[in-house]
Amino acid sequence: MATDRRLRLVIVTPETTLLDQDIRSVRFPLFDGQMGVLPGRAPLVGKLGYGELRYHADDGEHALFIDGGFVQIKGSVVSILTGRAIPVEAIDRSAVEAALEEARLRRALTDEELAEKQRDQQRARAMLALVRGR
Amino acid sequence: MAKARAIVKRLKAVRNIRKITRTMELIATARFKKAMDRATEAKAYTQKLSEIVADLSAAQLRFTHPLLQPHETDRRGVLLVLTANRGMCGGYNANVLRLAMQRIGEYRTAGRELVLEVSGRRGLAYMKFQRQSVDRRYLQFEDKPRFDEVEQIADRYINDYIKGHIDRVDVAYTRFESASKQRAVVDTLLPIERIDQGRGEAGGHDFEFLPSPAEILQELVPAAFKARLFKCFLDAAVSEQIARMVAMKRATENAAEMIHTLSLQYNRARQTQITAELSEIIGGAAALE
Repeated sequence: MATDRRLRLVIVTPETTLLDQDIRSVRFPLFDGQMGVLPGRAPLVGKLGYGELRYHADDGEHALFIDGGFVQIKGSVVSILTGRAIPVEAIDRSAVEAALEEARLRRALTDEELAEKQRDQQRARAMLALVRGR
Repeated sequence: MAKARAIVKRLKAVRNIRKITRTMELIATARFKKAMDRATEAKAYTQKLSEIVADLSAAQLRFTHPLLQPHETDRRGVLLVLTANRGMCGGYNANVLRLAMQRIGEYRTAGRELVLEVSGRRGLAYMKFQRQSVDRRYLQFEDKPRFDEVEQIADRYINDYIKGHIDRVDVAYTRFESASKQRAVVDTLLPIERIDQGRGEAGGHDFEFLPSPAEILQELVPAAFKARLFKCFLDAAVSEQIARMVAMKRATENAAEMIHTLSLQYNRARQTQITAELSEIIGGAAALE
């Protein structure tokens, strides 16, 4: 696949198009683990997890926290649809810690509540890991 | 001098009002542009979603989701009414509220249970006047509704619907059709009748699905619902600004017209007065001769 060496990353949230840029490579969390994409990737539609999205552009490496959603790869365009995307620099550490604490102490009686509690906890931990790593 | 003075006073008042309405018009115009930009930006998300739906439909799967299935009985419904926090926007609030009252009436006559949720101070005041009990009130949505806040509401609806607490979700709001046309409507958001499909270039791409088309759709349906509800809020915000802009423009024009007629009246009154004074003087002089 030497024909097309370009890769375009488009990140859309319900509020705005956050990013539309040519990049070299991108790595993002799929529902079951990390996935890396280089130019020339075959078409794909996938479900995203939450965690760090990291992309290499000409001006260096950037990281964002994304919160679920979908990815669509079509031709040379990688589209990320997510409910929330926060640049790592903009994450408020104390707010995340508070959210984690709240989720940890929440009473969960039914299966759904338990699943929700675990999901919220994992999400907060993923976010926190990002903040610590920066 | 009495009449002319009174007219001058009124003239001053009207001039002040014109200044105020003119300013409000300008503010509404600025806000409208911002709201409009947000609405256009939000469109990208919905477009991408429907594109993915189109991609998935190429996978030819039969598929159900609890949000797509109407419940067997339609007993308890939610009506969400989106109005403005402030007035001075012509018939914007009244139009939405009229439709909402119609829908409430239908519920009452059919004997179905209704959960009434109202956003906006104007709508709340109206419902209080109509003696309708409002189950939930929202005041936080100004001209920039945030997705996070809308998502919370959407999540609650999704949960309630799946658990069977509610059988239907209607939203009364002003739909933005174009810059010159907005219409108050009541839309049924749940159950979802169909999910819009983008222009599918069928067969153009052979997609790999992770984990599987069915599971992606499972996730996609709630996302589509949230996007639709968010669009309702955005539409309402844009329409409100347009309505205010138009109303204030008209008010400014009316004030200008009033100033015109009042100045004419003032001139006439002044002239009459001068004539009267002159004739008095002449009359006085004639009496002295």
